Amino acid sequence: MEETPKQNYSDREKNEIFNQEFLPHITSMYNFAFRLTLDRDDAKDLVQDTYLKAYRFIESFQKGTNAKAWLFRILKNSFINDYRKKTKEPSKVDYQEVETYYNSEDVDRQITPDLRVESLKDMIGDEISNALNSLDVDFRTVIILCDLEGFKYEEMAKILDIPIGTVRSRLHRARNLLKEKLSEYARSMGYKNSEL
Amino acid sequence: MTKHYNPFLQPNGNKPTCLEMLQLILDGEATPDQQDYFKVHMDKCMPCFKSYNLDMTIKELLKEKCCKDAVPTDLIEQIKIQIQISQNTAS
Repeated sequence: MEETPKQNYSDREKNEIFNQEFLPHITSMYNFAFRLTLDRDDAKDLVQDTYLKAYRFIESFQKGTNAKAWLFRILKNSFINDYRKKTKEPSKVDYQEVETYYNSEDVDRQITPDLRVESLKDMIGDEISNALNSLDVDFRTVIILCDLEGFKYEEMAKILDIPIGTVRSRLHRARNLLKEKLSEYARSMGYKNSEL
Repeated sequence: MTKHYNPFLQPNGNKPTCLEMLQLILDGEATPDQQDYFKVHMDKCMPCFKSYNLDMTIKELLKEKCCKDAVPTDLIEQIKIQIQISQNTAS
């Protein structure tokens, strides 16, 4: 994210920023942390760490700017540095393959012909949530930022430290993977129904 | 503006695929010109029409089903206590 000149806040101003600009995002932050860690205790710790860091570095934040994106970026970095290492090896997504896929001619190929709006509407349980959680964390992240939190591509690029083109291609690939997963659910639901 | 004007056309002259257009529309990243163009295009392109409805449904379902977790009640309090401790240690 752009470097802003270091601000000089009084303790009162710091607390004001923290309470009025940072804390209102706590629900989104907790949801993001939970979707990344897939564990409620880890999510809680991650959010707590993030807010403590945000307070510590509050003078790098310019009052009135995009606090949500700033906080999400800190959370994402804390997750990569502290949590991913603890739990398992960082996932390895072959982005070269992604770019090639995105630029290839068969990109318009309908990969999920059996996935229909009607079958999605029948998914009233945890199917959607489970399908999202099953994605590799890098793919999951772009869907969370875009579809759950409504960030713009430019904001996502800054949060994730990647070019906008990569945001778009990763999002495209992530959605295809999600649809493949949802198709599996749709097929299994259909199978069950035909058994009845 | 000519009849064949395509607002999705990239500066290098590359014509975007249907899915590339769809993605911009879906994510609210398209300009008003691009939105108008896509509306007309969708009437003539069945795969785009179907994909638009499917993708939009998924986007709405994600928002509806995956944002329901309540923040633990003591989280804000714990954060505030931690900050208080760090302030006292610093001073």
